[in-house]
Amino acid sequence: MITLKHVSKVYPPDVHGLRDISLFIAPGEFVSIVGSSGAGKTTLAKMLIAEEQPTRGTIEIGGWDITHIKNRDIPYLRRQIGVVFQDFKLLKKKTVWENVAFALEVAGEPRRRIRETVPHVLKIVGLEQKAQRFPHQLSGGEQQRVVIARALVHRPKILLADEPTGNLDTMNTNEIIDVLKKINAFGSTVVLVTHNREVVNALHSRVITLADGRVAADHEQGKYLLPT
Amino acid sequence: MLILTSTARVFSFAWKNFVRNAWIWLATVLVLVLALLSVNTLVGVNAVASSAIGVLEDKIDLSVYFKPGTPVAVLDQARSYMSSLPQTSNVDLITDAQALESFKKRHAQDPNILSALDQLEQNPFGASMVIKARNTNDYPFLIQALNNPQFNFAVESQTYDDHATAIDRVRKIAASIRYFGTVLTAIFVIFSALIVYNAIRVAIYTMREEIGIMRLVGASNAFVRLPLIIDALLLAAFSLAITAGMIVGMIAFFEPRIRTFFDGADPGLQAYYVTNYLQLLVLQAVIMVSVVSLAAWAAVGRYLKR
Repeated sequence: MITLKHVSKVYPPDVHGLRDISLFIAPGEFVSIVGSSGAGKTTLAKMLIAEEQPTRGTIEIGGWDITHIKNRDIPYLRRQIGVVFQDFKLLKKKTVWENVAFALEVAGEPRRRIRETVPHVLKIVGLEQKAQRFPHQLSGGEQQRVVIARALVHRPKILLADEPTGNLDTMNTNEIIDVLKKINAFGSTVVLVTHNREVVNALHSRVITLADGRVAADHEQGKYLLPT
Repeated sequence: MLILTSTARVFSFAWKNFVRNAWIWLATVLVLVLALLSVNTLVGVNAVASSAIGVLEDKIDLSVYFKPGTPVAVLDQARSYMSSLPQTSNVDLITDAQALESFKKRHAQDPNILSALDQLEQNPFGASMVIKARNTNDYPFLIQALNNPQFNFAVESQTYDDHATAIDRVRKIAASIRYFGTVLTAIFVIFSALIVYNAIRVAIYTMREEIGIMRLVGASNAFVRLPLIIDALLLAAFSLAITAGMIVGMIAFFEPRIRTFFDGADPGLQAYYVTNYLQLLVLQAVIMVSVVSLAAWAAVGRYLKR
């Protein structure tokens, strides 16, 4: 599903974001990528959605080599990977419904399918009653659930969540993790980038620990190993 | 079907974006209107200046005074010859009898002058000829033409030499005003284009986060770009319409007020716009559309790299 072979990223002049990373993430896995600040977590996440290109090595997503993906092909890749960020990245001038529908509209999906899909994903994240609200009328947890709903509309095989609970309190964090687990249970691969010890330890799933741009540990039933 | 759906969505997004970012666009429209107004005002000032110069030039003529008793045949010869020149716009011949009549009319209320005139046995006035050139530059040529031996012996004097310096000055001022007016308008057009370009860039800069999010959820470059370009074109259309309305108002306000500077004559501002505005509007629309499209295209492009 996701294969990284000897991936390195060097930012000019000589700042190493990642150093010779090789990974394989199987379909349906729930993987947590942890590490302290500057370990390379976000660089790795950005590479998976082609926001960054590796300096060396290759990246494949579902058999598609995206190492040197052309600019015009990036939208097609991003429609196959659901992305959730810490800072939500919602369109402030659009309602919840419009934010979620937007991901389908840009893909040219017919109106009928949009009318069917949007309520469905809003129901999954529990926001069907707030479809006409604007992002600023929602709590942080609700905004993050909108982002997850938006990420789900294409029924992605991969959901990439980069610090999705970074701005949330414990209760909202638990809600978001529950939603991610639910999505994983539907069969999607979930890649969770986080530094939240409690979340990682409660998941009892695979944990990849990054340190100084390298894979420091990779355990199937891992724990958060880094000192806080 | 997909193309139709996508096209409809591009227009729909453009309109929603336009309405929801009304304040940003309003500020941009104001900048665009100011840029357009500055150019149009300068064009209007040039038109008034040209009109003023035209009025001044129209007052310039070449008056030729013939000796009293010059035969009518010689006068006709002179008129016929001067009229035949391509540099001549108009020739008015005033015979000695018409000159006397005109003098009497002018002084009808002054019995002393009229009685003094009656004391004279002969008509003291000679015939005269007023020549207008097509172009003020042609007067020196027409003065040379008066040296024609068929009638130059009958010429007593001509006025052009008396006013030659003043006429030459008017001519030079007119040429300078036209030249600098054109240069200044060109500079204003360039500055305005730069202002418009940057106003669009600033408006799109405020939406950079939104553009990034659109890309993140899989919007193609065209899908991000086109609505913003359509918005920029809408701005251009609004700005042109608002400016046109303001120009109509400004002409209605200023034309009667500047008429006094023209001795009550038509300053030609309204006439200039009636004749030329369609052409001006098309030219401005073409420049505006090109600049805003280019600005929007380039500004959005900066945020579409990856």
